[in-house]
Amino acid sequence: MIIATVTLVVLALAMAAYAWRRHDGSLRRGIDSGWLTLKRNLALLLLAFAIVGYVDVLSPTHLIQTWIGPHSGWPGLVIADAVGMLLPGGPYVVFPLIAVLYKAGAGIGPTITLVTSWAMLALISVAFELPFMGWRFTAVRWGLGLVFPILVGAAVRVFFG
Amino acid sequence: MRDRIPLLLGLVTLVLVVIAWRTGGFNLALAGLSDGVMTLLLVTPLLIAAFLIAGLVQTLVGAELVERWLGSSSGWRGILLACVGGALIPGGPYAYYPIAAALLQAGAGLGVLVAFITAKNLWTISRLPLEVALLGPNITWMRYVITLIIPPLLGFLAEALFGRYILNIRKAATQ
Repeated sequence: MIIATVTLVVLALAMAAYAWRRHDGSLRRGIDSGWLTLKRNLALLLLAFAIVGYVDVLSPTHLIQTWIGPHSGWPGLVIADAVGMLLPGGPYVVFPLIAVLYKAGAGIGPTITLVTSWAMLALISVAFELPFMGWRFTAVRWGLGLVFPILVGAAVRVFFG
Repeated sequence: MRDRIPLLLGLVTLVLVVIAWRTGGFNLALAGLSDGVMTLLLVTPLLIAAFLIAGLVQTLVGAELVERWLGSSSGWRGILLACVGGALIPGGPYAYYPIAAALLQAGAGLGVLVAFITAKNLWTISRLPLEVALLGPNITWMRYVITLIIPPLLGFLAEALFGRYILNIRKAATQ
């Protein structure tokens, strides 16, 4: 989190310095434009973070553990795909959860399907995507991506199983 | 559509509040809210930087430049460029979606943006140390190797199948 913050702050400052050196009002317009976007999306951001908080405290860990056993086959991969998109929060929350499932006996295929599905399809990210990118974009990206985590899990079984 | 999204998110929040209340009473309902507020406070500096970048992208990067390098006609070069950008950009969805939205409105193509977001999701370098530490090096390298092809492939598929609807897609993002 700290590395990410520092990187983005440095990038923002570098762009701001470049905009300022152009002496054509670019900096002012850039700040105004960023502020406008933030203001327009503030209510959505607050709601999205409220959702993050609730999913975090309500995580159905026990349910997840019973569904994706080591010999779960294709159904296991499909379930892992569906569960992955429901996983709450960022990597700090999700990776420990998936690590627990793996140690508890989840197969390597479903485990990697889980990571891939969470990374590509997480509904919590869609809550941020919809207001910024519009429903048409989300429908294309999310819809096309739907089957990939399952294929990834199957590939893991073929190559590394 | 845009007006209905806050309503939708509000509804989801409400359902979660009710579930929390029924599971653990007032305390759990409050815990969820304070967890969300803490997360928000934690990412506030990152958010401000991201929105500043999104705003500056719009003023500094001209429409011609975006059109030439990232537009619908930029082909594989645009898609691969977007994949590298996606792998390098740090921060969560609250950080990269404002930036992607700025690029969308500046003239970037569908395939390029799908590749950018998918590369951010699957190739991201900033998450790599955490993944190795928490899931172990074995699972991590298997996952990176097997998902390596997906960002450019998904970008290519999106462009080939739906690229011609980019004007409608762009419009849906501002409605």
